[in-house]
Amino acid sequence: MNQFFVSILIILVGGFLSLVLARQFKLMKIVAVFSLSAGCFLGLMDAVTKLLHSGSEAVSFKYLNILSLAFQIDGLPAFFLVAIFAVCLLAAIYSFHYMDQSVDAVRTAVHYFFFSILIASMALVVTAANIITFMLSWEIMSLSSFFLVIYNYESSENRKAGYLYFIFSHVGAMFIFAAFGIIYGYTGSFGFGAVDSIPQAAKILVFIFSFIGFGSKAGVFPFHVWLPHAHPAAPSHISAVMSGVMIKTGIYGIVKIYTLLNFHTPLFGNIVLVAGVISGILGIVYALGQQDFKRLLAYSSVENIGIILIGLGIGMIGVSSGNQLMAVLGFTGGFLHILNHSIFKSLLFMGAGMVLHKTGTRSIDALGGLLKNMKITGGAVIIGSLAICGLPPFNGFVGEFFIYIGGFKGVSLDTSAFVMSCFAIVGLAVIGGLALACFTKVIGVAFQGEPRTKAAVNVDEKGSTMLLSMSILAIACVLIGLFPKMIIHLPLKAVSALGLGYGHVSLEPFEQMTANITLAAVIFLVSCLFVIAIRWFFYRGKTITKSGTWGCGFTQPTVKMQYTGSSYASFILDFFRPAAPLEENHPKIKGRFPLKTYYKSHVNDIAEFNMKGVIVNPVLFLFDKLRWIQHGDIHLYIGYILLAIILLLFFI
Amino acid sequence: MIESIILWLLAILTAPFFSAIMFKVKAFFGGRIGSPLLINYYTLIKLFKKGSVYSTSTTVVFKLGPIISFASAITVLMFLPIAGHNPIFSFNGDVILILYLMGLGRFFTIAAAMDTASPFEGMGAAREAYFPIICEAAMFMILIFFYRLTGQLQLSAYFTGDNTIVLWNLAGAPLLFIVISLFIILLTENSRVPVDDPATHLELTMIHEVMVLDHSGPDFGLIELGSFCKLFFYSTIVSRLILPFDFGFSAIGYFVFIIGLIIVYVTVGVTESVIARYRMDKVPQFVLTSFALAFFATIITLEFI
Repeated sequence: MNQFFVSILIILVGGFLSLVLARQFKLMKIVAVFSLSAGCFLGLMDAVTKLLHSGSEAVSFKYLNILSLAFQIDGLPAFFLVAIFAVCLLAAIYSFHYMDQSVDAVRTAVHYFFFSILIASMALVVTAANIITFMLSWEIMSLSSFFLVIYNYESSENRKAGYLYFIFSHVGAMFIFAAFGIIYGYTGSFGFGAVDSIPQAAKILVFIFSFIGFGSKAGVFPFHVWLPHAHPAAPSHISAVMSGVMIKTGIYGIVKIYTLLNFHTPLFGNIVLVAGVISGILGIVYALGQQDFKRLLAYSSVENIGIILIGLGIGMIGVSSGNQLMAVLGFTGGFLHILNHSIFKSLLFMGAGMVLHKTGTRSIDALGGLLKNMKITGGAVIIGSLAICGLPPFNGFVGEFFIYIGGFKGVSLDTSAFVMSCFAIVGLAVIGGLALACFTKVIGVAFQGEPRTKAAVNVDEKGSTMLLSMSILAIACVLIGLFPKMIIHLPLKAVSALGLGYGHVSLEPFEQMTANITLAAVIFLVSCLFVIAIRWFFYRGKTITKSGTWGCGFTQPTVKMQYTGSSYASFILDFFRPAAPLEENHPKIKGRFPLKTYYKSHVNDIAEFNMKGVIVNPVLFLFDKLRWIQHGDIHLYIGYILLAIILLLFFI
Repeated sequence: MIESIILWLLAILTAPFFSAIMFKVKAFFGGRIGSPLLINYYTLIKLFKKGSVYSTSTTVVFKLGPIISFASAITVLMFLPIAGHNPIFSFNGDVILILYLMGLGRFFTIAAAMDTASPFEGMGAAREAYFPIICEAAMFMILIFFYRLTGQLQLSAYFTGDNTIVLWNLAGAPLLFIVISLFIILLTENSRVPVDDPATHLELTMIHEVMVLDHSGPDFGLIELGSFCKLFFYSTIVSRLILPFDFGFSAIGYFVFIIGLIIVYVTVGVTESVIARYRMDKVPQFVLTSFALAFFATIITLEFI
């Protein structure tokens, strides 16, 4: 435990020093980046060791004599710590060249301060061992990330995003408080120990409340509305941290509550699985409809949270129907996808950050042909896209493969588990196909073809620390995809630490599966080499010429004629029109010689679209009626406080 | 093992021949003699003799496109039980891998098309990204059906030896649905009429052909050979389902298998001759039929087993 606290301390000291050194821009950045990455590296080493040796350590402090702060590291927290520290380490390194505008040194220093608090609080959330510690860290995490979201507070759009995030994280926290309140009401203690002794009806209520609360942090549909606003607003490495790991703390919360309740009803699995399939499909449909690169990635996070939930749901159904292998496959697949998603999503956000940094625009339709000048960034983003589509031989495939196998195990069970498994499998297949369409759009429109506007012409990719972080993540995507055996023990240890009431599951089938994936990847790569050899043989001594693209007889093409991202996606979006209504705005073309015209389209998110009518307006109406309570007279306010205290005394 | 490798090589080498049968059938319906049965070999030889012209807009992805799509096509064939024999490789879950490898090939075909900055190729790419989504859902529904019957998740458990006959005995009626569903998937995935018309003269109405407009020479040869292999893959599965008899390693076994293949290719040819291609917005409904059929078949098995 000491090494863990030392690493947290180093991170926090780094954040604090950056405030002190705000005047020396270069020095401040070096100190902050160095101590953040050193702290993360130490923490990462510690977490990996703990996870592999199945160590369990606990420590608790008394604070102000009443509140006890307790921390514990065993399999599950250690697994999440690995993801948190790994992504934050690379994000900190990336930030060195990303934050190179020295005009606002103080703001950069404040950003490092909150960044360090965010890392520390995420680490504390997953290690918290009682309600007080958990909620304290949770709130610190929400607040520190709120200040990072409004980093560019001059833009009203970003302020709105921050406001939305603030509301969602606090309404979510209210639900978590409610869930913990029910637990406290029955057990009378702040500890996590006695949670499984509460009655079953209460357990269901606790699970549903905490699913909504944690789901709003994780970005589960329909509680995801803040996510596509807040993630693009933050600086790109912060988006990487938020999308890569911060939203996973919501998943951690769901898993934690599930294990604490120790109540294996099929209901929980069904809720989680259905929420997963819906978030997965709608998340990627909305992602497909976005023109903003970072917003697209944020929606794709909703999709990946969906895939993770499908895995967990299959695991929970496996537990409730007593099918060990299915349970372990589902949970392992879900956990593996947590790790994989944190790798490729932070890679993609860093790639988007590089593009934003060099071109100054986030709009995909304004870009084009970036791959010619940004070879490393482009290559890394292509690898990340292949991985996020779940294609072999990249890491995304491994997690989805486990989830699929787990889902198929459920197909041979009784009717309800059968229906759920079919839903999960077909859902995953559709998500996979849509993800392929979504990310070929990103690659095809932003990185290939010809530049559509001046912003995308003559870009470069200077910034060695940014390239370093992206390269490491891209290599990790490939390595895990090729040799999943070296990583599979991490999620397996985390799953076995859940202690889900079934006996020991042998590792043998899992090692066999990873060996098969490696075999298939090797076969494929050998075939590729074989084909490259054939190609080389046939191209020996041939004349290879360069010419313009064949325009089907048309000889004066312009870059404006290229397919845009919106036109690429419109065909598929049309199919999902009921869930993703397209809003179009263009004047009617009149006359024989029409003047210059325009076309605007926007895909509405039905959750966001209906939120106003269903929740915001009724709430506003209600509080409008209660406006008379607020009169501005201080005497009456003091009266309110006294009245409240007296009333509370009756209940205690 | 040796037999499997020889069969795999033969599959790649004979795939162009079988595709030519479709041309013959279409020529017959058109009242023409048609091109010779070896036409695809002549075309491939011609292509491999040529050099290439690359568009100035393209990057390395454009060259990777044919490599990856062909490599994925031949890798997929390694997992396919040909004529009821064991494939070269087989493991639990290989079907999922096969479907995703095809996805990888598709990813690079689309990326290569988008690389040319051509509006036509972009249009083709958008369609190529769309229809396989429904196909994939239908394929996984079919897998659920097979898993329900056999409890296994590998192609060899469905299509080697007498496994296919066992399937027919277990659930013959729903399997008929599956055959039709697979045939629709075959037409869609291989861009045949009524989903796509490879022989049309207008680029605007194409899907697959328009995506490879800018490829030339050996690169284009690889793409063509890859698409013959892909069609061979689906045809083998359908032919094995319609003629499920097991004769072991004997001449009659291969003969029956080839008859089955010819039936499938002729059916594709007949379909192309008698049906016009659908309007683009009607295609999803047609493809969804395959999903619906597979879904009903699976529901029916719930009662049987």
